[in-house]
Amino acid sequence: MIDWKLILEVIGMLIYATFMGFIFMGIERKAMARIQRRVGPPIYQPIIDTLKLLGKKESVTHGFIYDFGPIFALGASIAALLFIPLAGFRLFSVNADLIVVAYLLEVPMLGIMLGAMSSGNPYSAVGVQRGLLTMVAMQLPYGLALIAVIQHWGTFKLNELVSLQQAHGWSILVPALFLAMIVFDIVFQAMLGLEPFDIITAPAEISMGPMVEYGGKHAAILFTQHAVQLFAETAFFAVIFLGGASNLLELLIKQIAVLFIAIFVASIYPRFTIDQAAKFFWKWPTILGIIAVLLTM
Amino acid sequence: MINELLIIIFAPLIAGVIAWALDIKGVREAIGLIGAAIPLAYLAKLYSTVLNEAVNYSVTVSGFTLQFQLNTMSWYFAAVASLVGLAMALGMASTSKSSYDWLFALMSYTGVLGVFLSQDFVGFFLLWEMMTFASFMMVIRRNKHESLKYFVLSVIGAYAMLIAIGILYAKTGALDFATIRQALYVDASLGAISTAETALIFGLFLTAFGVKAGAVPLHVWAPGAYSETDQSYTTFFSGALSKAGAYGFLLLYILMGYKLYAAFGTFHGHLTFAYIIAWIGAITVVVAGFLAVLQEDIRKLFAYSSVSQVGYILLAFGLGSSLGFAGGLFHVLSHAVFKGLFWLVTAAIILQTGKTQFKDMGGLAEKMPFTFAMGLIAVLSLSGIPPMAGFASKWLIYEAAISAHMPLVAGAIFLGSGIAFAYVVRFLYAVWFGQRPSDLEDVKEAPLPLLIGMTLLAIPNLLFGVAPGIVTKYLNRMLGGEIVGGDYYKLVTPTGTYNALLVTIALTIGLVIAGLVYLYGAKVRKIKVTNTYQSGNPVTEEFNLSIRKNFYRPLAEALEFWLKYSWDRFYERLAGIVEDFADSIRQSLYNGNVQSYSWYLAIVLLILALWGVL
Repeated sequence: MIDWKLILEVIGMLIYATFMGFIFMGIERKAMARIQRRVGPPIYQPIIDTLKLLGKKESVTHGFIYDFGPIFALGASIAALLFIPLAGFRLFSVNADLIVVAYLLEVPMLGIMLGAMSSGNPYSAVGVQRGLLTMVAMQLPYGLALIAVIQHWGTFKLNELVSLQQAHGWSILVPALFLAMIVFDIVFQAMLGLEPFDIITAPAEISMGPMVEYGGKHAAILFTQHAVQLFAETAFFAVIFLGGASNLLELLIKQIAVLFIAIFVASIYPRFTIDQAAKFFWKWPTILGIIAVLLTM
Repeated sequence: MINELLIIIFAPLIAGVIAWALDIKGVREAIGLIGAAIPLAYLAKLYSTVLNEAVNYSVTVSGFTLQFQLNTMSWYFAAVASLVGLAMALGMASTSKSSYDWLFALMSYTGVLGVFLSQDFVGFFLLWEMMTFASFMMVIRRNKHESLKYFVLSVIGAYAMLIAIGILYAKTGALDFATIRQALYVDASLGAISTAETALIFGLFLTAFGVKAGAVPLHVWAPGAYSETDQSYTTFFSGALSKAGAYGFLLLYILMGYKLYAAFGTFHGHLTFAYIIAWIGAITVVVAGFLAVLQEDIRKLFAYSSVSQVGYILLAFGLGSSLGFAGGLFHVLSHAVFKGLFWLVTAAIILQTGKTQFKDMGGLAEKMPFTFAMGLIAVLSLSGIPPMAGFASKWLIYEAAISAHMPLVAGAIFLGSGIAFAYVVRFLYAVWFGQRPSDLEDVKEAPLPLLIGMTLLAIPNLLFGVAPGIVTKYLNRMLGGEIVGGDYYKLVTPTGTYNALLVTIALTIGLVIAGLVYLYGAKVRKIKVTNTYQSGNPVTEEFNLSIRKNFYRPLAEALEFWLKYSWDRFYERLAGIVEDFADSIRQSLYNGNVQSYSWYLAIVLLILALWGVL
């Protein structure tokens, strides 16, 4: 027996998520522009960019892994998306829990790194180094924030998290989880690759870091990956702290709210250097995270 | 008819001795391989028997009764060890050129199997010592200093164990596990063994097993010993031999668990003694992980990584819940298969290039594609990418740690897995990608036996990743109860679910979609590595564009304060002090002066007189 409803839901959700992810990227650019009193590009600009990149006549490659890296990253982002309960659409979310999704959201990073490294470009290598160090640094507060949520609600299942929050109020209304949310929000900035933690790409410093060698359809795949990832991560945030959503509009409002906080923070802070970032993550967010975790015990 | 258990344990040793005695090229490899395969074959044959009842065998030697038992737990450990052992033999068929190696590698194989199958302390200790000695002999051939470091620490561990066994024997009058277990269980309510004595026994066992498992701060032998030997042998050394330490911790629970609980009680709702083990594990995961990231030598990196991963097992056992044991035992298997695979890949690299430093390597993916694919599987499994065995076991440990309400310990695992990402990528980057140094142009793919060994270890990584239920079903039976539910593809714990097959399918869907986008795009043209962006400047072969040294320098700077302290230096200094002390005693007491010897005599007589003897 084939569950046609599920298949249709999956296809529909993938199209919706990719489209909205691109729109989020557009919102990001537009909002940044308005903050700096510019007009900025139209909101659908990233879609045009991606289509242009896909239309390039020729791409260069440095070998099999160079091609496989972006594909693997996009594939993992899609997989992560399918395990998050999105509003009324459960998709595959009953079959995997928070730890699996948290891991799947990190896998794309490995894919990008894998591809970037195989190009042998020194800028890529510096970007990879910074990316991994950011990941090592943010992992501890990230883990602590998730642990606080799990301990408070007593379940790893995302669906149960949503229904518990709908019955007992959102996570952020609990003081300890509000602290966890602050920690998660700081880490979130690094997950999205926004200032002050956009150390990985660092456009003015190391000319786009891992992506420096990518052009044409590879870059288009990476753009798409970023869109899906953006959608998945904001939805993940909404599910664990903002009580999920009963319909897509509610989810969208919560996602955009989360996104705007990230944009506001990003537009006023300059970039950290990598060692500053490591020291920062191991200081304040970690302390706050430990407090949150101890309060939920 | 010789008993099957004896065949399982001693077949490798006998094969090793024959291979050593004959020493004919070709024959010794064949004999060694057969000897290494026999235990696996017999264990497979006994699988269904073991599930129903334990197989026992006892033999009396020099007045001691040695008991061996193949029960569900010892079968599991022995099966893991013999799988890795067979892979090691296949690797050694390519990398080892002497019969010496075969003798001692197979001797340590016998030692490890014996440790897992023993049911009394006499056999356990004897085979434990055989295992230590044989692995020491493997290391001493390459590096005297490192081997002695390993040997001294192992001897400290082994004799700590001997003292603990002595105390237990004095208190209970028994040497076999069943009687000791019973006696300690009864004693928990009687309290004939005081808390201080229990603490002493516990501390001694902790030292003994901590050394073998490489727990911080007793890990200092591992980087040296793991790297200064035949890397095919390290497959077994780190894949199976380090599990003897983990098995020891499990034994501690079985023998003394209830007594330790009665003696120390609980701490914030956790068993106090287990809490200590959990924190030792957590610290090991983080410290060894950071040290692995900062290494410049491929062997050292994997040595520290191995220490770090065994830390996960200790941590899981320390949680004290049955879910924790399930996670730890699963990680025993997955660590053995992915780390064994890593060492075989390392063996292949070192065999084909002759280099061990990251700075001398690069761009090997094109020259050794199969080895690279195997290395990639190991990387994915170690860093815990979902449809791999490494993820399934880590997932169980996460669930267990958070369910057991040890949030800070769970935080350490999160950090540890981030670090694991960092060091495996270092390995990928420095060895496989980027520019190839000109002296590696004629490198070839690894020889066939080595490739077969790798495949042998890669299959379980994939199989138990997609179908982790195969392992957890067995573990349920071993631990007695439905601890991890679900079917072959799905793991269900009281708080979470992980459907490995569906994750694989979702990932495949994702890859297919991404692949279609890729195929839709324009055609690609392959260009050389040096044809790359260098701030718009032309690049030629003479420039080294790959970062091969101090890759994680910012991390070293961020950790500067912590890196000032080193256990390695501490032990070296301690050894120096002891050596100086021995020297000063020699010089001051045995000074060659006849008068001072007569003074010693006078002093002794004086003491005797004061004592009232004279």
